[in-house]
Amino acid sequence: MHTKFRWRALIKFLFWAVATIVVGAYAINTYTSGQLVRWYYFESRADGYAVNTKGFEQATREQPVYLTIGAFSDVRGLRAARVTKGSRLPEGTNGVVDLATVDEGTRVRLDRGQLVVSVPWQIKEAKGFKFRDGFTHKNIRTNPYAGLWNLIMVGLVGLCLGFLAEGFTDLVGLKFQKIDHSVGH
Amino acid sequence: MFEFLIAGVQAPWILLVFTGFTVGIVGGFIGVGGGYMVTPALIVFGFPGYMASGIDMTHIAGKGIVSTVRHRQLGNVDWILALSMVAGTMFGVEEGIRLLGYFKHLGLSTVALLGASVLLMGTLFVYTLRETLRSHRRLTEMVREGKTLAREVSTSSLPRVFQGLPLAPLVRCRVARVIVSMWVIVLVGVITGVLAGFLGVGGGFIRVPALVYIVGASTHIAVGTDLVEIVFSGAYGCLRHSIEGNVDFVAVLFMLCGAMFGAQFGSIATAFVRGPAIRYMLAFSLALATLGAGLPLVNLLMGGKLAWLTAISVIITLGQMVFLCLFILSLVYFAYRANRGRWVPEWAVPLLVHNVTTGG
Repeated sequence: MHTKFRWRALIKFLFWAVATIVVGAYAINTYTSGQLVRWYYFESRADGYAVNTKGFEQATREQPVYLTIGAFSDVRGLRAARVTKGSRLPEGTNGVVDLATVDEGTRVRLDRGQLVVSVPWQIKEAKGFKFRDGFTHKNIRTNPYAGLWNLIMVGLVGLCLGFLAEGFTDLVGLKFQKIDHSVGH
Repeated sequence: MFEFLIAGVQAPWILLVFTGFTVGIVGGFIGVGGGYMVTPALIVFGFPGYMASGIDMTHIAGKGIVSTVRHRQLGNVDWILALSMVAGTMFGVEEGIRLLGYFKHLGLSTVALLGASVLLMGTLFVYTLRETLRSHRRLTEMVREGKTLAREVSTSSLPRVFQGLPLAPLVRCRVARVIVSMWVIVLVGVITGVLAGFLGVGGGFIRVPALVYIVGASTHIAVGTDLVEIVFSGAYGCLRHSIEGNVDFVAVLFMLCGAMFGAQFGSIATAFVRGPAIRYMLAFSLALATLGAGLPLVNLLMGGKLAWLTAISVIITLGQMVFLCLFILSLVYFAYRANRGRWVPEWAVPLLVHNVTTGG
């Protein structure tokens, strides 16, 4: 391999390695800092009660779980906060139980100022597979900018990984020549 | 196990990496996103159905970029062809989604979806397999006669029909070495887009045969060019799914880590084989996908009395990923042996390329 080419391959590999680390670190930091989660659980899509479903996953009809209703800024644990359509969700929210479900009363009902959960999830099917579909992700609106962030980050990660791999193969001497499509075509 | 904060599930991260890797190999080699294989796998890992679709579509966009970068280096991307198709593909995807909504409204979405899948993929499978077998036979004859083998051999007369349509403007695709009406390219984009939107897939396994048999591109260029399309349609799907709240970004990141290696291997593997080898893979994946959709359809038409058929289709859907990977690995292994002058099966000889050039 020519020395000039080897240097070019090394620079290419190092540049994309640094770019990959920077982009990856930024993406992971955005996730672990909770920023991405806040963007995801951004607003309520319906009038109802903001909840954290982890607190009542084990609820049954025989042993329902009671959630305290209040103006909480964090709904982790056995808490529920009243929200209206379009309002910002409290910390720890991962689903909104809408008023229609509460009024129906088969899965969730109001009892003496508390929210009583008796059927936390139902079995649903997709592509031949059954999965547990609960109140998680229900009636929440994601920040549209988070969608754009996802798109930009996926694009950047894809580019970085693609060129990093190309830089690596160039560096180890596997620079593939263009296929000659003119032969026999 | 890793706790995915957005998806709200605990799932084995190593399996996400592995899935990304295996689908990356297949995707890089035959130019498909692999959505029809990944979504069920993600549901098995514990992700809810809507999240599985969103994560899958988003990872396809990233993986498409990884594969495209490599195929560009190999000279398999015709940018003019790809960009001419994009608008038609986008329009088609949107119309396909609306068509699905119409059938949903009629209460016929499952039957219509499965029926269309079986009919379309079955027809494509039969045509692709027959044509590829003819091409393989021709290559075998050329080997016997001691002739120099071409990278691509196609026995289909369809491209000549479509290239002969005198509809202005004509587009000259330099890399693909075809001159064809812009309308043909746009129509391919629209039709494959409608089918992709309707069936809820990226559409690669429909678009690659369309590029080969309608536009007249060689299989390698069809694969590389289709991956560019997948980047655009995947990006559109990623945006839509992200806004709908169906994407956990870290799950996508795990899959992309695996896809990086898989897509490299799959893309590079195309340099070691001739066009018919890729079309064989395409035909096999179409056959398995047809079975995967056909068995639940039979169960549905029998009033749900044959639930075991659906279970078999699930096994086929997940099993085909492994089967296709092993087939690609075996082809590369045979190419490696052939390059060293060692024995390889007689059927494989015409499908392999000797002396792949690398170096500075």
